[in-house]
Amino acid sequence: MNRESAKALAVGTLGVAAAMSLAMIASHVSPIVGFNAFFYGAFGGKQQIAETLASTTALLFPALGIAIAFRAGLFNIGAEGQLLIGGLLAGWIGTRIDVPPAIAIAAIFLAGAIGGALWGAIAGWLKAARDANEVISTLMLNFIAASLALYLVTGPLRAPDAAGPELSLLPHAYWLPTLLSHTRATIALPIALLAAFALRYVLNHTWFGYRLRAAGEAPEAARRAGISLSSVALWAMAWSGALAGMGGAALVAGELHRFNTQLSPGYGFIAIAVALVGGLEPLTICVAALAFGALESGGLALQAAAGVPKDAIHVIEGLLVFALAARRYLGARGATV
Amino acid sequence: MTLSLVLSLLALAFVRGTPILLASLGGVLSERSGIVNIALEGEMTAGAFAAALISYFTRDPWIGAIGGVAVGAGVGFALGFAATRWRVDQIVAGMGINLICTGGAAFGLIFVFNQAGVTPQVPAINQALWPMVIGAIVLAAVLQWAIARTPIGLRLRACGENPHAARAAGIDPLAVRLYASTIAGALAGLGGVFLALGELNLYSDGMIAGRGFIALAAVIFGRWTPLGAAGVALIFGLLEALQFALQGTIAWLPSDFLQALPYIAALLALLGASGRYRPPAAEGKPYP
Repeated sequence: MNRESAKALAVGTLGVAAAMSLAMIASHVSPIVGFNAFFYGAFGGKQQIAETLASTTALLFPALGIAIAFRAGLFNIGAEGQLLIGGLLAGWIGTRIDVPPAIAIAAIFLAGAIGGALWGAIAGWLKAARDANEVISTLMLNFIAASLALYLVTGPLRAPDAAGPELSLLPHAYWLPTLLSHTRATIALPIALLAAFALRYVLNHTWFGYRLRAAGEAPEAARRAGISLSSVALWAMAWSGALAGMGGAALVAGELHRFNTQLSPGYGFIAIAVALVGGLEPLTICVAALAFGALESGGLALQAAAGVPKDAIHVIEGLLVFALAARRYLGARGATV
Repeated sequence: MTLSLVLSLLALAFVRGTPILLASLGGVLSERSGIVNIALEGEMTAGAFAAALISYFTRDPWIGAIGGVAVGAGVGFALGFAATRWRVDQIVAGMGINLICTGGAAFGLIFVFNQAGVTPQVPAINQALWPMVIGAIVLAAVLQWAIARTPIGLRLRACGENPHAARAAGIDPLAVRLYASTIAGALAGLGGVFLALGELNLYSDGMIAGRGFIALAAVIFGRWTPLGAAGVALIFGLLEALQFALQGTIAWLPSDFLQALPYIAALLALLGASGRYRPPAAEGKPYP
């Protein structure tokens, strides 16, 4: 870690701590009591650490996916929809197959990846074939995904045992093994970490990664060098969606054990912040996801124990993104988007 | 279909379209000045929440309306300031603002009213609904004229197309962009006020429901012109109104499809509109 990023980390941490203190004082909670509740909620015991790791996992998959698209110069705001469609396909496959558990879990993750990839590829194709603004298309696809999922689980895929907008429960054998017994921390976390290392390798050491970065950093030069920007847009969006969709599969098989349309409380949006705070580097994103995971689970504990609304955490996350956007350009003259 | 049914459908279309229209006018202004405005959603949220909050405490909905517009303008100023003085990536900053505004409103609900999700009922200005609808359409026409035909409009466009040339002609692009972004925030805030105090008499979490993003789509389909954006916003309003009108009338058409109708329409429009949309040349690029 060089000196500048150490400084940024210190300033960021202090800023978050200051903002949290303000939120606590505004809610008539002593910061000592508040931080105590927060840290206990994030790291206080096996159960708490497991909650933090579960949130970390849920954010890490879509954040890695978002990093792929952003590195290719594509503002994929659609991770939430890609996660939902991936989770839907994963939850459907999981109730339809009868195979050994290891194969079933692999199939569930594959289904999640395919679902997310197809949903991401729609925006990628629109960009490639029709030069459609991906910010708009991915946003619209989020809404369409929510409606489509709701229609399918309340209509054609309606489950006899469903209590809400959800599919049937997965067979117990297909539930992801836990890392810590009786908690929500599952083997999805090491799978996500593996994906991060794989992504780092692909981005830095493969022809696909090279073309992707070239298209993102200097599109005109890349085009003149014979790189097809259309093909990069299509595949970057598909892989981006695939990772978000695996996040949906992890939530289905690891936490809810069934698909529910309320699967994600906005993980796909917070993951944008995670990816940006992680500097779009896969391994740094892992660290950022852990920090945001701790913010999520500690924030819940803060609300339960001290009555500080959890939404304060989202304000702080937003401030962090805003400050980060500013930092990147404060000293860099002549830089463009 | 009877005439009265058609008329009530059209009336509903205008009412549902107006908040989108107001925000899209803000979007046109800021984007023509060169600032990508993905923060319209957050600005609408801030405006709606502030309007309900202030109306609740002052018991005067007009002060609430003014407060909502002012808070929207404040958020627009923050985006503009960051975009001009700090040279931020505007899409990233806009997403940060959206997180702050939606999180802040949810936090404020619990903090002020000690209840999640929704404010108590507040004094509203429902009687001003139609004057606001008509006013919004007139405003679109005025802005169309002002951007195309007045010196101020020329300066605005110059900053969005070529800020360096504008600078050479003695215009300060940073100041123009800051003003445009602030006014954009005020207009989006007014859209939020229209929802919270015009149509309803409260603020509830998620009430903006993506209208800020729909407004952004209206800006693009309206080719960055006020009248174009206004027309598209009203079409979105019509699609929303159709949802209500068609609900339950056509058995084979699922209601979820109707809910997704505006978004599907936007996607199809993107599909059919290849290459016909040229954004302002310097949009999104920090200056200098």
